[in-house]
Amino acid sequence: MKKALILLGCPEAPSQTPMAVYSVYKLTSLGYQVTVASTPSALKLLEVSDPEELYVKNKIDIESCLENLEEGIFDLLVGFVHKDAAVSYFVTFYSILNTSSIAVVFERDPELLENYIESIEESTDATIVSARAYHNPTPLRVKFDRALKKLED
Amino acid sequence: MTFCLDTYLQESENYEILISRAGFKECKQLIEEHAPETIHVKAGEKILGVRIIGIPPIAIGIDENKGTITLPYTKPCYGTSVVELPVDKEEIDNIKALDIEE
Repeated sequence: MKKALILLGCPEAPSQTPMAVYSVYKLTSLGYQVTVASTPSALKLLEVSDPEELYVKNKIDIESCLENLEEGIFDLLVGFVHKDAAVSYFVTFYSILNTSSIAVVFERDPELLENYIESIEESTDATIVSARAYHNPTPLRVKFDRALKKLED
Repeated sequence: MTFCLDTYLQESENYEILISRAGFKECKQLIEEHAPETIHVKAGEKILGVRIIGIPPIAIGIDENKGTITLPYTKPCYGTSVVELPVDKEEIDNIKALDIEE
């Protein structure tokens, strides 16, 4: 079975948690076994959003995940990026895993959004899904679906 | 016992934070300007027991006279800090061996 890792950033952006649950749903439906790596605070939001673990079945602390990360253990990396630190985490996970990757980049400020996209483009070959989004996950969801479709084609 | 940066920063006060809650690029520039010698490592390289997080090539500052290294330290909700801390000569040699530009 193919394995995907979803990397969450700081949970203060409202779009992240619903997009995380949605991404797990989509990737699971495509046949991936999905693990979500997050901070304890982002994990709490996921646990409340999906109390019976109908969608998010495998969760791991981001630091433990990074500590044990090795090339070949995941077939796909999906990283949520809406802060400078999340760019650093995504690029680091990408560098270690060296596998197909999608960066879901979102931010209200267009200049910051552009900076995050540029940094990822300069350092990775990841597919970038980006939108000026904060509360509304719909633009990201639509673009994420398109990226997944391309990946599967 | 193996040195662990996370534990060291929690339990010791013998380090200096040069900048905190900053962007990674700003931190890299600060390290390169601050340290007499700079090496560059891959993202995810293990230094002082933890994986270094950032956009490669990641700058690590070395001051052999002071016996310190200066490195970026990133947490998801707090951005990147730059920390200078004392390490022994053997550890400095181990870190220098990770230089990707040598």
